[in-house]
Amino acid sequence: MDSQKVDMFIMANGKFFESHQVLLIRDRLIALDDSKWSTIQTLQFKDPTTSLIISLLGGQLGIDRFVIGDTGLGIGKLITCGGFGIWAIVDWFMIMGATREKNMKKLEEFLF
Amino acid sequence: MFSKKQTLHFILLSGCLTGYIWLFLNVSTPSLQINDVSICILKHNTGIPCPSCGATRSVLAILQGNFFQALQWNPLGFLLVLGLFTLPAWILFDTLTGKTSLLHFYTKVEVGFKQKKIAIPAIALILLNWYWNIHKGL
Repeated sequence: MDSQKVDMFIMANGKFFESHQVLLIRDRLIALDDSKWSTIQTLQFKDPTTSLIISLLGGQLGIDRFVIGDTGLGIGKLITCGGFGIWAIVDWFMIMGATREKNMKKLEEFLF
Repeated sequence: MFSKKQTLHFILLSGCLTGYIWLFLNVSTPSLQINDVSICILKHNTGIPCPSCGATRSVLAILQGNFFQALQWNPLGFLLVLGLFTLPAWILFDTLTGKTSLLHFYTKVEVGFKQKKIAIPAIALILLNWYWNIHKGL
C-alpha cells in the first residue's frame, strides 16, 4: 500500500494501539494489498481513554470489561462485586492496555 | 508470552484462591462478618449495595446448609459456590489431560452472552437483583 496512506492511518489511529505495535502495524500495512484499504479505513476502534472513564465509574460492576468485549471477565467482575473491590482498582491501571490489545486483535484479523 | 488457556487458568485460579481466603477469613474471625461489606468501594462511598452485595453471606449460608436463607441474602451466591467448587477441578482436569475444554466453554459463554436474546434477560435479572438488594437494605 502507498506509504502516504499508511502514515495517514497511523496518525489518525496511532493512539488506539500500544506504541511498540505501531511500527509492526506500519510494516504490515505497507505490505498489504491496496484493495483492503477501504475496509481498514472504516474500522472502528475503542478509545482507551473512554474505557478508563468507564472503568473509574462502572468498574465495580464490570461494565468496562463488557464494553471492550471481554464478556466473560465482565461477568466475573460483576458477580464478585468488582473482584472484592481489588480487581476493580487493578483494572483502573490495566484497562487502557487491555483496550489497546483488543484494538490490535481487531486489526490483526485484516492484517494477517 | 502465555497462551490464552494459561491466562484464563491463572485468572480463574487466582479468583478462586482469593475467594477461599476470603471465606476462610470470614469463618475464622466472625467479627469480620459485620464489616464484610466495607471492602466494597461502591457500598463504602455511596451507601448503595452493588448487585452482588451479600454474596459472601449467601455462600456462608449455603455451606451451612441454609439454602433458603442463602437465596434471601443473594441468589448469586449459588453461582459463586458452583464456580468455587467446579473451576479448580476443571482446571486440574484440563491441565492433566492437556485438553482445552474450559477455554472452549468460556469462549462459548462469551459468544452466547453477546447475543441479544441472552444478554437482555441476563441484564434484566441482574438489575432486578440489584433493585432487590437496595430494597432489602443489605
